[in-house]
Amino acid sequence: MGAFLNVNFIQDLLLSMVRMATPILIVALAELYSERAGLVNIGLDGIMAFGSLVGFLTCYITGDPYLGILAGAIGGVLINMVYAFCTITLGAEQIVYGMAINIFAPAIASFIYKIYFGINSSLITNTLMSAVPIPLLSKIPFLGNILFNHTPIVYFAYLLVPITYVFFNKTKAGLNFKAVGEFPKAAESLGINVIAKKYLASIICGALAGIGGAYLTTCYISTYSDGVVSGRGFIALSAVIFGRWMPGGVLLAALLFGFTDALQLRMQVMSSGTPYQLLAMIPYICTLFVLAFFGIKKAGPKANGKPYFKEER
Amino acid sequence: MKKRLLSLLLMTVMVVTGVTGCGVSKKESTTTSEKTYKVAMICDSSISDGGWGAACYNAMVTAGQENGFETQYTDSLTSANFASSMRAYCDLGFNLIFAPGNQYTDAVKQVAADYPNVNFALLNGTVETANIESILPDAKQIGYMAGALAGLMTKTNKIGFIGGMELDTTKAKLACYEAAAKVANPSVETFSAYAGSFSDTAKGKEIANSMITNNNVDVFFGDASAVDSGAREVLSTLKDKYDIAQPSDLLASQKSDVVVGSVVTDNATMVGLCMKDVKEGTYGNKTVYGNLANGALSVGTFGTAISADVKAKYLDIVEKIKAGTFIK
Repeated sequence: MGAFLNVNFIQDLLLSMVRMATPILIVALAELYSERAGLVNIGLDGIMAFGSLVGFLTCYITGDPYLGILAGAIGGVLINMVYAFCTITLGAEQIVYGMAINIFAPAIASFIYKIYFGINSSLITNTLMSAVPIPLLSKIPFLGNILFNHTPIVYFAYLLVPITYVFFNKTKAGLNFKAVGEFPKAAESLGINVIAKKYLASIICGALAGIGGAYLTTCYISTYSDGVVSGRGFIALSAVIFGRWMPGGVLLAALLFGFTDALQLRMQVMSSGTPYQLLAMIPYICTLFVLAFFGIKKAGPKANGKPYFKEER
Repeated sequence: MKKRLLSLLLMTVMVVTGVTGCGVSKKESTTTSEKTYKVAMICDSSISDGGWGAACYNAMVTAGQENGFETQYTDSLTSANFASSMRAYCDLGFNLIFAPGNQYTDAVKQVAADYPNVNFALLNGTVETANIESILPDAKQIGYMAGALAGLMTKTNKIGFIGGMELDTTKAKLACYEAAAKVANPSVETFSAYAGSFSDTAKGKEIANSMITNNNVDVFFGDASAVDSGAREVLSTLKDKYDIAQPSDLLASQKSDVVVGSVVTDNATMVGLCMKDVKEGTYGNKTVYGNLANGALSVGTFGTAISADVKAKYLDIVEKIKAGTFIK
């Protein structure tokens, strides 16, 4: 028990939490933008997988992890455009197309990897993005190393939270954006171009989800393997719901998940007698628990998941 | 009117393709008279995972080339699809189905009962029937070999084991890893964690990180395929941290400052033995054992970090494991 109170342990745990929460945070924010415009995109896992492959491949070919992130964003947008076209213009069922993306995007990613690299007995590695410690702040004794000694994408992810908050609550463009998700007919009557805003939301969602995926293979680990995403897209989805569609809530949800996941791994190492399956359940049980108490569907955008037909009466 | 014509045209194209397709395959099956042997592998991970999947696929291809078998594979299957995938290969006339792991046991038993003319090779399995042969590399010896090397190499007397899923073979390897390390180095302590997946490289990184920071572990051994690559990545950023690889000889195909040695499982030879059985018609009711004595398990290329003295001690221990005198 004393091991828990050891400063080193706590610092390592918090550092791990920040690292593990980042991809979930970026992708959850992606989903937030999409759902606020009324599009439920459950294909995040697939977009992340494709983004991670494109990011990995670009970083491997050019040697520049930043280009990898950019490529990941573009890749994510391309995949999400399929979803966007089908659900916005054709008015199809959003959940179905989200699942379709989940099936075809990781398959394409796996296919491209196999074609380009062939079958090796060990994974190909590329260059990782190096951490950029913020000059003065990273010297702070305890928090400095945890918060201010990361790759720029981590800073970008956490900065995106206040930016998103300001965008949605304080700017006119953001309020128009939210209106599209709440009551598109009223928004249309006020001259807001609903279709254009929905496409914009899809582009942002695809880009951020692609960045989240690319982060995994250019900043977190230097290899790409088929299961590199391991369900993070779905965790991000639940983070949006129990963050009650607010950027601050989403941040807390991502941190909670990162924390419990990091804790679970360390507890496994410490107590080798306990079946590891029980400990591996902890993050998911925590999520379920919090969702049961704090997740209210009513708090979400009211026209979420409904296709918008311009000519409908 | 235009729409109707278009849909009629498309339907005609579809029907014609379908009929021609059926017709062609019928023709093919009647003209095939010479015996071509075909082997297929099913896998739940990707075959380009740089670990178990890749090793097993390469083993099948190598054995196939030596014995004149055509190879096919289906990877990234979910457990619900194991049986249906195998049935599809059986229906296509394949002679041997290779299932590279203990997790396929139930599906193999099910499908083998329905297709008595098709042969099944189950790696790490314990089933023997008229058309199922089990390939059993000695998980205990693998554990001993890894544990002995870890016990000898560690300077901090703390070693780590990273598991994927909790398979019987993994449990055996872990138990023997711990036991062998204790014999080689009585003051050693073993830490273990399961990633719960064979492909989540990020988890491997986190597990390795936490073991190093919190428990001062300096030698790792993994049974988790792609997860081990994540762990190796962390180790390569630090000094004096080592890893023992399996099942392929890592240092033979790539450079690594972190890997000190490998426990090599020669799946190719064992699959080849199954293929010979298929050709000779003597298939079934046996287990192909893989251990140090018959060369299916061997010591891999050593890394640069290992001293000549430790090397000598280790090879000595391996001889004892082979003879069965290392641990009673």
